[in-house]
Amino acid sequence: MPISTEHVGRSYPSTAAYQVSAAKIGEFAAAIGDPSPAYAGDQAIAPPTFAALVVSPAWSAMFDDPELGLALHRIVHAEQRFAYRRPLRVGDRVVTDLTIDKVRSRDTADFITATAQVRTEDGEPVCSATATFVHNKGAA
Amino acid sequence: MTAPSSVEVGTELPTLTVRLTRADLVRYAGAAQDFNPIHFSDRAARAIGLPGVVAHGMLTMGVALRAVTDWLGDPARVVSYGVRFTSPVVVPDDDAGATLIVSGRVTALAEGRATIQLEATCEGVKVLGGAKAEVDLGN
Repeated sequence: MPISTEHVGRSYPSTAAYQVSAAKIGEFAAAIGDPSPAYAGDQAIAPPTFAALVVSPAWSAMFDDPELGLALHRIVHAEQRFAYRRPLRVGDRVVTDLTIDKVRSRDTADFITATAQVRTEDGEPVCSATATFVHNKGAA
Repeated sequence: MTAPSSVEVGTELPTLTVRLTRADLVRYAGAAQDFNPIHFSDRAARAIGLPGVVAHGMLTMGVALRAVTDWLGDPARVVSYGVRFTSPVVVPDDDAGATLIVSGRVTALAEGRATIQLEATCEGVKVLGGAKAEVDLGN
């Protein structure tokens, strides 16, 4: 079953809780080359794009969904947008809920837009990540 | 790092120049848990039609936002951030790597918030499209 507009609205079970740690924030900040003191210590906040790491298990669940018939090596990240209520912080335990917003099919590729809502285990909304992925159909 | 004092539409942010090498890609892969082989294997990258190993789009996106957060002083004040990945950042297997140049300009001000449009280029090619961050100026 290839992906189609019929899959708009399809959602996935909440991801397992992700606990934000000072060590992971430190690693991530170093990986983007950012020495900001905001990212250091036990009170650190996470760099804004750290949210991609948090939502990635939700993206994986969509990529692996047999109903959509996607091939991982054909998927390219085309667009990304984040909206923040507040930064992620050390100690946050957050879960992600992903819903497919839009599917556009072209001859050579499908464009899939999905929004991931990140909230604490207690239900406080933290941020959202809307991604568009291109799935290249390749040679039949 | 202090908050910008006078911000107007048209205010230019200091330009950020960042060099990305293969080592930086490996570090980002581990930090972000993104192990797509096109970010470390030329063979895998060429198999899907790329000229060679490319940076993670999210690495380019994350690095580019530093132009905003360095200027702003407080990354907690980023309200939204969006980009399109228009061209891959090809990172050669040498010490020089790829050089990313990021510039930004305030394009709108409303209710204590500024909208910043970012331009990111590598070897003169635009690598992000429609890159826009909205920040709370805290005043």
